[in-house]
Amino acid sequence: MIPPGRPTGDDRRAQRDGAPLTTLRLCGGRIVDPTNGVDGELRDIGIRDGRIVALAAGEAAQDIDVSGCVVMAGGIDMHTHIGGGKVNLARLLLPEDHRAAGNPIVRPGNSLELASCGTCTPGTLAIGYRYAEMGYTSAFEPAMVAANARHAHMEMGDVPILDHGAYVMLGNDELFLQLLAEGGNFQQIRDYVGWTIHATKAMGVKVVNPGGISAFKFNQRKLDVDEGHVRWQVTPRQVVHTLARALRELGVPHPLHIHGSNLGVAGNIESTLQTIAALEGLPAHLTHIQFHAYGREGPKKFSSAALQLAEAVNANANVSIDVGQIMFGQTVTASGDTMRQFANADLASPRKWIGADIECDAGCGVVPFRYREQSFVNALQWAIGLEIFLLVNDPWRVVLTTDHPNGGPFTSYPHLIRLLMDRSFRDEQLARLHPEVAANAALKSITRELTLYEIAIMTRAAPARLLGLADRGHLGVGAAADIAVYREDTNRETMFTTPEYVFKDGTLVARAGRITALPVGGTHFVEPGYDTAIEKTLRKHMAAHGSVNFDHFAIGHDELCSCCNGGRLLPAACFEPA
Amino acid sequence: MSSSPVSLVSPVSPVSGGTAPWTCPFCPLLCDGFAVHADAARGTLTLVGSDCARAQQALARFRNGRSAARPRVDGREVDLATAVAAAAKALQSSRQPLFAGLGTDAAGARALYRLAHDTGAISDAANGAALMHGLRALQDRGAFTTTLAEVRTRADLIVCIGGSPLARLPELFRRFGVGEDLVAARHIVFVGGAADADAPLAGLAGAAPVSSEVLALEGDLFDTVARLAVAVAGGPAPAALAALAQRLLAAHYSVLVWEAASLPPHGALVVESLNRIVGTLNRSTRAATFPLGGGDGAATANQVHAWLSGLPTRTRVAPGGLEHEPLRFDTAALLADRAVDLLLWVSSFSAVPPPPAPGLPHIVLGHPALAASFSGTGIFIPVATPGIGSVGHLFRTDGVVLMPLHRVVEDGLPSVAEVTQQLQAALQLLRLETPA
Repeated sequence: MIPPGRPTGDDRRAQRDGAPLTTLRLCGGRIVDPTNGVDGELRDIGIRDGRIVALAAGEAAQDIDVSGCVVMAGGIDMHTHIGGGKVNLARLLLPEDHRAAGNPIVRPGNSLELASCGTCTPGTLAIGYRYAEMGYTSAFEPAMVAANARHAHMEMGDVPILDHGAYVMLGNDELFLQLLAEGGNFQQIRDYVGWTIHATKAMGVKVVNPGGISAFKFNQRKLDVDEGHVRWQVTPRQVVHTLARALRELGVPHPLHIHGSNLGVAGNIESTLQTIAALEGLPAHLTHIQFHAYGREGPKKFSSAALQLAEAVNANANVSIDVGQIMFGQTVTASGDTMRQFANADLASPRKWIGADIECDAGCGVVPFRYREQSFVNALQWAIGLEIFLLVNDPWRVVLTTDHPNGGPFTSYPHLIRLLMDRSFRDEQLARLHPEVAANAALKSITRELTLYEIAIMTRAAPARLLGLADRGHLGVGAAADIAVYREDTNRETMFTTPEYVFKDGTLVARAGRITALPVGGTHFVEPGYDTAIEKTLRKHMAAHGSVNFDHFAIGHDELCSCCNGGRLLPAACFEPA
Repeated sequence: MSSSPVSLVSPVSPVSGGTAPWTCPFCPLLCDGFAVHADAARGTLTLVGSDCARAQQALARFRNGRSAARPRVDGREVDLATAVAAAAKALQSSRQPLFAGLGTDAAGARALYRLAHDTGAISDAANGAALMHGLRALQDRGAFTTTLAEVRTRADLIVCIGGSPLARLPELFRRFGVGEDLVAARHIVFVGGAADADAPLAGLAGAAPVSSEVLALEGDLFDTVARLAVAVAGGPAPAALAALAQRLLAAHYSVLVWEAASLPPHGALVVESLNRIVGTLNRSTRAATFPLGGGDGAATANQVHAWLSGLPTRTRVAPGGLEHEPLRFDTAALLADRAVDLLLWVSSFSAVPPPPAPGLPHIVLGHPALAASFSGTGIFIPVATPGIGSVGHLFRTDGVVLMPLHRVVEDGLPSVAEVTQQLQAALQLLRLETPA
């Protein structure tokens, strides 16, 4: 096990350059640091050796005047499709996302940036540049296919500046379903989950359409929460509960990350509520919940179930969510949910799509999509997402995402923040939408405007807490000096688009929208303990059913390091299982 | 046709005798159930656990021990630093370099992209035209694909379009699990190719029955797949294709196998038809395509270029922005048109195909066996082969699994990534010394 913060080549390079060894003092900023309960206090922040330190008055340091600015920890995106098979397929599918009306996209005039472009399918280099200049310092790929883990880590390693990690997908692999169907002992499944996390160097586990991706391979086209998988006769309810329990027992800090059943289907709120019930109080994170909060009221049999969803989240403290807000315009939906992506493929715009069945393990579907303001369904989706943000009481259990790129590209976050913080702006936007939505959406009567404090929770403090990152997402002494400094502006979109300063581990990486340094980000992962006796079963299973030698499956620390361009390895501590 | 397969060795069973795992880098199946025996006395490398002719032939081109190959500049043997300095100078004076071949692993491809950025290069893999068949069809309409473990576990009907790929991929049907009882019975169809294309399948009959047939083309390959698409959609077709369509519609999970390198010019049209057939089938049953190709690092270079920049190979990192031209940025055409003034050829897996003789300045980062034939002008730097002289990673033919490669020989040669990084550093230094 490598302790966090062990110096690596990256540190040594940085030390040679002298950057993080300088002591910095950010002077006179307004601190918004929810983890430490700080809301708008004017205070200096000290930085030394990549960490936040307490500086005595008069202690020598390079002072940076940040008066008139809001100082927050660097942003953490805990659900963004930034690397791996389906993300690259999306790039390959959409060369037009990397052209401007048939011409090349002009390169930014910054010699530090290598050529890399795209809006909904940016290259990994562009992902790092655009996130960093927006004040984000970490991003997590939520859908790593176990068989594709090396590729996912390589792409994330080629995202400059940001720390990264990934959730490995389970719950649609034939071995898991078979073990569950056979009703064998739970320990075996738990150890298999532990081994998979270990082998793929994952930060958590995601289940996508529990059992449904596999069922689609057997030509099943729909799978409700209490419906049996046509081959294995297990239900999504069993899959969800078993995985959530396994992660709990393994002590993995981020609980089961759930992309529920029936994504995008009118009336799917029922599945979502059943999924929450399936947890029986076990902790879990329900992702891009906007896509799972649909009723079937009204003349179009499609309605907002945001209120029901919010009530369920408010009533179940074991559950956290991210929203997956949609934004109008061109994007691409890249998902592991082959079953649901196939069902939506005829709506592709432009009309093309990619699907794949993957290694008896997973699947993928990549469907380009254009969200339109004048579409009733799209307008309602937009309203539902915002309603969820505004109706859930506890911001610590709501994370700001667009499920990049599925709801919209991450570069639209500042616009989304303005929608949440500025009611009149929100109402103006709502008025432009499909008239039935503009007239009838519950959103119209919601007066709540999120505060800077709440935005800071949803974009850094809560994701850090939900991931178990003790030294990220806050500005307390000892925390990593991942810091974003925003110039105060009543136009919150302007404010959050271009922070004045962004620091990554104490290095100034962006200054007023211009990248200034390119440190290599670190890799977050967990190493849960498990009984290695499971490896014998896995070796046998892979020889009989797989396509890769068992000895080639697990990624070692050295290999991970080379995949990730020599970035630091950042193992997160597991908790003591109850 | 290759020699028929010998005793059935499961592709994923560990090799006996405790030999360390090896991944064969010489075809896009990247088999990792075999081993290499390195004979110290005779200096040979021998394949253990398979009779794959392609792997055997490739291994015969290596020696177990330090490589005698030395860098050369204009026919003279030089040390690495001198060759790198000469290559950097050539890059510095080039107004439009072409990086071609791209026969390297993921690390090499990552390094080459950075150098392409620094020099404004166009990148195109060896046989880039074949790579573009699948890519162009994908860019136009998408695809639905499957992977080796899926085929092994559930494919009850396998249709090889354009004949048998076995000559180039001798292990293919064993990797597909043909003859295993994971599927109760399998039927294999060869559309086009030799009349006896299915003969080698006899050697694979095992725990489960395998039946097969060879269908003649109805017209050319384009006509045949177009007619099959019509038949699958319920329209009229010649009897044999109508019967195949019925088989496809009745199968639980059919797989259409196509091989990029064996498609004719405009092969993207064939791939588009196959994707259309799979699209129709998936409305009532399950089906997928299985592409074969992208070996010798081509698919890996393509993926790496796409993730770093956003665009795949056949892209120019132009000062005005990235230009992706899947037709125009073809190595042969660019050289014939004199549209480039320097060729950087990368071929670390094989001495075949040899670098094109461009009649313009060229740098070759190549398989040591190229040294002997490299006596004329230009710069040659022998490099380690990933999976032989260095570790590395390559994408398998299905595009999902990025296989780790092992070092089996200490040949003392640098990797493509190492040479490329040195080249980039030397070029940057040159530019500092001689500002434009």
